[in-house]
Amino acid sequence: MSRFRLPMIPASDEVSWTSKINNVDFSTTIASNSILLDVLRNKGGSLGTKRGCDLGTCGCCTVLVDGIPKLSCLTMAKEVEGSKITTVEGLSLGHHLHPIQETFAEYGGSQCGFCTPGFLVVISALLDENPNPNDHEIKTAIEGNLCRCTGYQQIIDSVKAASEIMLNNVKIEDSTSPKSDPHPGFNN
Amino acid sequence: MSNDDEMVGYRQQPGKLPFSRPGSGGKNQFSELRDIQLIPESQGGKKHQPKGDHRHDPLISGTSIGKSTALVDSKWKVTGKANYGDDIRLSNELIGKIVRSPHHYARVLSIDISKAVELEGVIAIATGADAQNSFGVLPVTKDEHAMAIEKTRHKGDLVACVAAIDEITALEAVRLIEVEYEVLDSIHDMRKGLDDSEYPIHDRGQYHIGESNVQKRVFQEFGNIGEMIPNSVANHKSNWLFAGVNHGFTEPHAVVADWDPSGRLTLYTPQQVPHYVHRALADVLEIPMHQINVYRTFVGGGFGGKSDPFPHEMCAAILARKSGRPVRITFDREEVFWVNRGRHPSRIEMDIHADSDGRLCGVQTDALIDGGAFASFGHVTTYYNGVLHTAPYELGAFHYTGARVWTNKPASGAMRGHGAVNSRCAVEVGLDDIAEQLSVDPITLRLANLLPPFSATITGFRITSIGMRECLEKVKKASNWDKKFRQLPLGHGIGIGCGFFISGSGLPIHWDPNKFPHATVHLKIDMDGGVTIHTGAADIGQGSDTVVAQSVAEVLGLPLDMIRVRSRETDTSPVDLGSYSSRVTFMNANAAISAAMEIRKDLLKAASIITETEIEKLVIGDRRIFDKQDPAIGVSYLEALHKAQEDRGALTSSGSYRTPPMGRAHKGAAAGLAPAYSFSAYVAEVKVDMETGQTKVLEVWAAHDCGKALNPLSVKGQIIGSCHMGLGQVLSEEMKYSRGGDLLNPDLLDYKIPSIHEMPKVNPIIVESNDLEGPFGAKEAGEGPLLPILPAVCNAVYDASGIRVNELPITGDRLYKEIEKKCKILKISNPLNLPNPSLIHSDLQTVLESRASKHSERDLERILSEEKTPYHNGALFGMNPEVPGDEQDSRWEIRVIPDDQYLSNPRLAGSAWRHVERRKRND
Ligand code: FES
Ligand code: FES
Repeated sequence: MSRFRLPMIPASDEVSWTSKINNVDFSTTIASNSILLDVLRNKGGSLGTKRGCDLGTCGCCTVLVDGIPKLSCLTMAKEVEGSKITTVEGLSLGHHLHPIQETFAEYGGSQCGFCTPGFLVVISALLDENPNPNDHEIKTAIEGNLCRCTGYQQIIDSVKAASEIMLNNVKIEDSTSPKSDPHPGFNN
Repeated sequence: MSNDDEMVGYRQQPGKLPFSRPGSGGKNQFSELRDIQLIPESQGGKKHQPKGDHRHDPLISGTSIGKSTALVDSKWKVTGKANYGDDIRLSNELIGKIVRSPHHYARVLSIDISKAVELEGVIAIATGADAQNSFGVLPVTKDEHAMAIEKTRHKGDLVACVAAIDEITALEAVRLIEVEYEVLDSIHDMRKGLDDSEYPIHDRGQYHIGESNVQKRVFQEFGNIGEMIPNSVANHKSNWLFAGVNHGFTEPHAVVADWDPSGRLTLYTPQQVPHYVHRALADVLEIPMHQINVYRTFVGGGFGGKSDPFPHEMCAAILARKSGRPVRITFDREEVFWVNRGRHPSRIEMDIHADSDGRLCGVQTDALIDGGAFASFGHVTTYYNGVLHTAPYELGAFHYTGARVWTNKPASGAMRGHGAVNSRCAVEVGLDDIAEQLSVDPITLRLANLLPPFSATITGFRITSIGMRECLEKVKKASNWDKKFRQLPLGHGIGIGCGFFISGSGLPIHWDPNKFPHATVHLKIDMDGGVTIHTGAADIGQGSDTVVAQSVAEVLGLPLDMIRVRSRETDTSPVDLGSYSSRVTFMNANAAISAAMEIRKDLLKAASIITETEIEKLVIGDRRIFDKQDPAIGVSYLEALHKAQEDRGALTSSGSYRTPPMGRAHKGAAAGLAPAYSFSAYVAEVKVDMETGQTKVLEVWAAHDCGKALNPLSVKGQIIGSCHMGLGQVLSEEMKYSRGGDLLNPDLLDYKIPSIHEMPKVNPIIVESNDLEGPFGAKEAGEGPLLPILPAVCNAVYDASGIRVNELPITGDRLYKEIEKKCKILKISNPLNLPNPSLIHSDLQTVLESRASKHSERDLERILSEEKTPYHNGALFGMNPEVPGDEQDSRWEIRVIPDDQYLSNPRLAGSAWRHVERRKRND
């Protein structure tokens, strides 16, 4: 019982492993049979990549490998050795959120938020390829991701809003910019 | 203030700040004038109040309430910075793993840990012997242990646990622990749970029901059903079988336990109800509660499935104590199904009777529910299966028998719509059938039988606001019902279903003595002007932090970026009962409002001193306090705050909420009692493939009365999310057990949660009935919206195919079997030639329509009148509305214990009453 989350492939010794995680060169040693999700969470500093099922059924663990969405729970780390890996942590530019991150917050795409990282990386890949997707294209893109909270509708709203932002090149504010003044004057 | 003289006749030049203040600066340097469209009429604004005034009207500043608002913690979630259970990584941590029983029911004869101890990297092992005390979410049924003490009660039950330096070592250690079992006869069919058994699954010590596995039984009779039934001209009878379903939250359970050097325990856990874990930990670890800090991490979905104190949480604490190091236990998806606490598999018999006036003269329900191995919330669930369908309709008589049995399955528990979902489905499908028998429109039938506002249900629940009528009318219109119902071609149908749910439970589970408030919120504001809210309300993704923040922001006239919510730790938050029974918005927002009102008073007083204006003339707007008549006479929020702080430093306040006295006195009267109730009506349109039995839901119109949508974005999100979850239960989700009792699908591949492709378009319709006691008028929106989707789909499937399926989920093969059966009976070879249900209105239709419109006037009058005359259920049947039925007619006496006549021929769950209740074993 409950043992399938271990790799079935026997491990040889620790091997060295390098990749580029969120644009930063990363190297470490891993057991040769390590699963990418474990490496990312335990060593790669990406706790944002979530584990929901281990069976390729929920999509929470999705990351981009060289720009293409992959379920990291079903990916052997060795397979993607040397690749460019993007996780949810790599979507924003400093404190400037990616439009889809901004709209997920704004349009209710995220409730409990556990499925969110998976959705975000998949959608960012979609928008990179097709900044103006129609309903069908959006649905097809996220068909591998389960969300138990939102019923998907507000996720689709978020994607559309993000697409709008990207098409119109709207600038997203730096989240560290000053907040409201508690001592305002008044307009007549 | 540096110089009081300057303040005399304080008048601020437009756009000019007299001086900057410490802590000031930032964006939006001008205050927005109050938008009179957002200020209620009662306060001189222009916001129309068709439902009358509300006691919170004077607090409206137009800042936040009613505006679609992003969740205050959403930025964490979208950046991957939100830390859920398994994301808590403490240095030097160990990984915990659990030894689980491979048998359904077994005595644990011995546990040999000698080999595991030898394994390098194993630091601690614990077994049942390490924690003898029992616990459970309800104080009356503490029937769980951290690990098996004597017996394991279901496959996957905990036997021992291990902490090791890494996962692989821990798993290897689990393998090396040798447990000797004596396998006992297990039961898997809930009907067997009613029988006497040689080894009842639980020995309840002082109190038990015969030698059976009946954990709880309920008998209730309101009104004289025997006299009512002979009047009936339409009778519905059905036998339902509901499969068990799991919450299916995306985050598997995870917990981290850490004892700090001072000897205090911090337990990091994604919990809906930290307070109950807090109590259970103290019991199990035998330490006082103040030695424990329960830290609620981000919660990756709860839906009721993270509201019990769990054995693995105890295990982590025990292992961490033994090893002296932090221990993290994370479940895989299979383990999530082993702890379960999902919706009870249920067998429900539903009888509904209607008389020639189209009144519902009797409802008889018998519900047998399969509790699995532990009691969990079972007491409550057993009641809820009955009492929560006594509204929104006026009933002639109500009879309910319910029983919850223990079986050797993973425990059932509370799940979104707790206890109300299955029986509600049965009632609403029954009404559809009654309408068909009477040849009337099912929506009209409902509209003509609704309880009015400010009334009492047959069980004595106090109904305050009720937006049911508006919900029905709105979905009817939006879905174009009159053009579609019974008029769509075979294989295409439309159906209606309604819902009724509690908005917070009137009786707190754990208040002994019953003196504490239900919810408490603390506020702290210091010279920086930011407001810190301390609340114990558990945000599980539903947005409770946001609603509490919005409430405070509204009262103080502040933007949300000046509010921060601290709701994670029991060390810092006031005790809160947690996120269940849809209580958080109603109770916590109410508590937050009272806390904010205190601060508001201080600010107004300070502003009044500075401006030399009477308090009565001052209002709070966007970060400013000013004279209603002349906005130039006023001060900024920060000025007022600093003035108020002069003598006492930081402003702090505490607000709390408790329910008013309500309800009746019979046994079980408190179950289902709530300070307010939500109502909803959904219409679903489906396509049924008559040749495969496959059902596809095309569109849903979902109207929900949430009193007042504090955050419409969240309310809509809850409605759509509820539809999604309910659609899963009605069409695809099912915990499947083999004949031998093995759970066949403990994974998300075979347990089918709807994906984007199964999800129809949902049109959420918010109905605002403006509850007088709710915060700004609000009621719940988290659970109630789930109820109507099941019956709406069932009824739509009938409209499409002429077939009533009484077994959920309605999978393709199930429906096709029924289609085949019907073809055989009607001797039709091609299912595409089956007759389609049709409707020609009888004379009763106009009678009902005119009653509905009269009632609609009556309802509005009752809402607007100052004097609320009592209205007790039964008036529709000619009783005096001023007094409860049983007080005017002895035949209406409330009975909670069956008589011999009933026992001579009990129904299924009712047969639980054959057993003699014993207060002491073996006497
Ligand atoms: S964890 Fe990879 S798909 Fe669920
Ligand atoms: S937001 Fe909770 S699972 Fe998607």
